[in-house]
Amino acid sequence: MDTRSKSKLGHLLIAKSMAEALLITAVAVGFYFATSNPYLRGVVDYADNHAVAGWAVDEAHPAARVEVQLYIDGIFVADQAAAEFRPDIREARRAEDDRHGFVFKLPPIPPGDHEARVYATHVSSAGARRTLQLIGKPLRFHVTAVEKGDARR
Amino acid sequence: MSAIANDAPRDIGDRQLAAWEIASVVSSMLIAEWIAASVAGGSRLVVAIPITLAFAFMITSHRLRSETLRDLGFRFDNFARAGMLLLIPMAVTAVLCLVVGRWFGRRPDFSNWHAGTPIIVQLVLGFGWGLAQQYVLQGFINRRAQLFSNQGWLSVLLVAAVFAVLHLPNVWLVVATFAGGVVWALVYQRAPNLFALAVSHSVMTWVVVSTLPTSALHHLRIGFKYFG
Repeated sequence: MDTRSKSKLGHLLIAKSMAEALLITAVAVGFYFATSNPYLRGVVDYADNHAVAGWAVDEAHPAARVEVQLYIDGIFVADQAAAEFRPDIREARRAEDDRHGFVFKLPPIPPGDHEARVYATHVSSAGARRTLQLIGKPLRFHVTAVEKGDARR
Repeated sequence: MSAIANDAPRDIGDRQLAAWEIASVVSSMLIAEWIAASVAGGSRLVVAIPITLAFAFMITSHRLRSETLRDLGFRFDNFARAGMLLLIPMAVTAVLCLVVGRWFGRRPDFSNWHAGTPIIVQLVLGFGWGLAQQYVLQGFINRRAQLFSNQGWLSVLLVAAVFAVLHLPNVWLVVATFAGGVVWALVYQRAPNLFALAVSHSVMTWVVVSTLPTSALHHLRIGFKYFG
């Protein structure tokens, strides 16, 4: 094998590696956009031993209702469409109408520290995939043995 | 004439280049099996891209190294010799598969490969699939391994290890392909004939599927699809 052929083969190896690096990057970025919604906005406003409430809007489809799921301490509790009356969301120009809030009424929770997380569901690949995307930040709250929980944002 | 037939000392650049060629083709296969298959879902197009790149690279490499189809093993003059070399290992492996299968309580069923498809059609399709795999494994990787470490056990074990790694995480297939890889690489180094290896590949796949425990083989799935 002459030097010129070796040089060509070396260049070919580099070109192939670059093409594969680009492919992996494109596939990773495509996977991210397919499995998550970059236009999703929302906040969990409060969490206590009675309820967890907040709002969620898909800014790409501001008239649509976002499906949200509540997890307490990592355990699924309930799901609903974010369609509660929240005029402040429209006034802040986050949405086109007033119904983008959610309020989860909680079942009895044992005393102690707890964490509430609310996720929006995102459907992709024609329904083949359903992924969860965290709304805002997790909220921790405390339930006393007597009753009364307090919320901290 | 073939690059590997030349017994003259090779400079370090050639050995390094051969090693990089092996690494490049193996990485393409791993990308297809693990990355593209995991994120592309049902899109065969995405999986086909790294495979196409690998084949384009291998063909160009053959041209740059002046390797002919005959050098690679697409020939018939040594078919009988390669077949004879394969006969005993194939018979031993078939008996071993039967014994292991019986040990795990499997009754051999030679009509179970692709139910509903005539066995002759399955063997012909298996031959095509085997030819493609043997071309990559022997026609490219074995030849480059010989450039890297000459003929012998080191290059044979390298080929078998590559073949086994490409069948992860299916443990039964990893073991079977390592054993098969050793035999096929040894035979190829003595009688380079891809058609004989493809026949052997097809028949041995049929034997493995028909004798070893179905649950252990996991439908011959490999890479990310193993978990699907």
